[in-house]
Amino acid sequence: MAEVILKNLTKQWGDFVAVDGQSLEVSDKEFLVLLGPSGCGKTTTMRMIAGLEEPTEGEIWIGDRMVNDDLPKDRDVAMVFQNYGLYPHMTIFDNIAYPLRVRGTPGSEIEPRVRKAAEQVELTQFLERRPKALSGGQRQRVALARAIVRTPKVFLMDEPLSNLDAKLRVTMRAELKHLSRELKVTTVYVTHDQIEAMTLADRVAVMKDGVIQQLGSPDEIYNDPANLFVAGFIGSPAMNLINGSIQGGQFVTTGGTQLVPVGGDDRKEVVLGVRADDIRVSEAGQGNIDVPIYAFENTGEATLLTVQWGRQRVIAKGDRYLRKEQDDMIGIALNPEHLYLFDPNTGSRIRT
Amino acid sequence: MIGRRRKQVMNAVQLSLILIAILIMLVPIAWIFMAAFKNHIDVFQLKLFFTPTLKNFGTVFEPPFYLGHKLMNSTIVAFVTVVLAIPIATMAAYSFSRFRLTGETTMLVVILATQFVPAVVIILPFFVMFRDIGLLDTRIGLILVNLAIVMPFAIWMIKGFIDGIPLDTEEAAMVDGSSRLQVIRNIVLPMAAPGLLTAGIFCFIIAWNEFLFALILTNKDAVTLPIGLALFKAEEGDLWNLLSAAGIIIMLPMFVLALIIRKYFVQGMTMGAVR
Repeated sequence: MAEVILKNLTKQWGDFVAVDGQSLEVSDKEFLVLLGPSGCGKTTTMRMIAGLEEPTEGEIWIGDRMVNDDLPKDRDVAMVFQNYGLYPHMTIFDNIAYPLRVRGTPGSEIEPRVRKAAEQVELTQFLERRPKALSGGQRQRVALARAIVRTPKVFLMDEPLSNLDAKLRVTMRAELKHLSRELKVTTVYVTHDQIEAMTLADRVAVMKDGVIQQLGSPDEIYNDPANLFVAGFIGSPAMNLINGSIQGGQFVTTGGTQLVPVGGDDRKEVVLGVRADDIRVSEAGQGNIDVPIYAFENTGEATLLTVQWGRQRVIAKGDRYLRKEQDDMIGIALNPEHLYLFDPNTGSRIRT
Repeated sequence: MIGRRRKQVMNAVQLSLILIAILIMLVPIAWIFMAAFKNHIDVFQLKLFFTPTLKNFGTVFEPPFYLGHKLMNSTIVAFVTVVLAIPIATMAAYSFSRFRLTGETTMLVVILATQFVPAVVIILPFFVMFRDIGLLDTRIGLILVNLAIVMPFAIWMIKGFIDGIPLDTEEAAMVDGSSRLQVIRNIVLPMAAPGLLTAGIFCFIIAWNEFLFALILTNKDAVTLPIGLALFKAEEGDLWNLLSAAGIIIMLPMFVLALIIRKYFVQGMTMGAVR
């Protein structure tokens, strides 16, 4: 059990900066998710913590020890890889036992500990098989069992669910969450899947171009995005980002005259962010403005209405029993409590 | 209907082509096989039926031929070559595969390029060098030469196998608590074992069949089997029956090895070649 502290961590390959002077503190027993699109430096950050990649600059602390010069084996971390990283020539039992054996655990302890770990991930009946004979989900469980068989200071998980099919991913996500609450070990989890980040994390660090854009609880990230990138990246469907200006406290779309009260000083260029859930759909004439429907989609659990608002399209979430046709006019009203303004040039949030 | 007939014809053509190819390859071997069991006088008659004799296999081990000595030389040279080449090649291959070395590509190409130098070109320098340091007509000298011949081949082939091991697996082992050497011993070697076996057998075959260097660099003590074949000349001409018996003795281990690596043969060839 330990905290992980990164101080001004940088990783460069030639001119390419993968991680750019980032500092981060993961507290003891915390589940921290590094979230970002591919190539944002999240995996590199994790690999530096594991010791598989050497930082160009900066310090990595695990507990009260600076581990920059420690080999991976001496850092007392356990890692789960995207492609599982199982040992194909060993049985499942031997795979799980490997971290114990290689660290010289007394033989009598190995068997009960492997069995316990296998039980926790529900693998007991497969212990004599080889990885080849298991399905993707089962293989990922073996990788998990191999990580939890020891009690390491830190768990590192590199997109552990992304090779599984969609349905299995949801089940495994819940199992992972259950397991992590049970084990209470500091965990750093890398993913590009925002749902995984939202559901699993105590805190999320959203990364882009090697820089942490925002660090906060899933609630904060979702409801109080720090900048345009975070706003656009988190949420499904993605947050509506509408270009326009502020004139006398009213938001005016670039091409149109439609107005929504937002308050604040006048600005020539501004981006208004609003989530689909925060747009109330009503009959024509009953909202802030009336707009034609560009497309009507029924997902079963809700309806998604893409509307043509000036030159832009905006997506709103409607009641699951709502039925409309393309080109119908509807009224939409934006929830004034959950509107976000951004500077389109810097991407930063404008708080009024 | 026509399509079906056409297919049958095509199949027949295919089959006969394969049979012809097999025939071309096997006839010399069949000839040797028969000659080895014939008497000297029978050899030149293309008789399919004759009274077989095992006498030839005895004669070749007797004076003045002493094939046993050459068999011993061949075995020792090929065996020691493999035993030395595979560990060294594995280490080199692992480094090439897993570490970013300065001048890596150049080194790899140079290693491969040594294979393109015709043996005749370098055989004279070898002869002079070996004469000066007293390695002429010694097994150690032959082992050194064979190492030089098989190493590039072994390195490239084993590198192909190691490249095929996912890096994740090794990294997992490192995080799990292994040192680099433990990773190699516990993970890489077991996973590359079929490759190492294949490479080892290929090297053995190359060393076993090596002719030119052995011809020039040995004359008495270290003579190997392929050179030994040249001994079967007498006043009555080439002793084809003895030559064939010796040939069988040379081929026999190759057949056995081919059977062993049958499973890995294609895999080994393609992995070594493509990657």
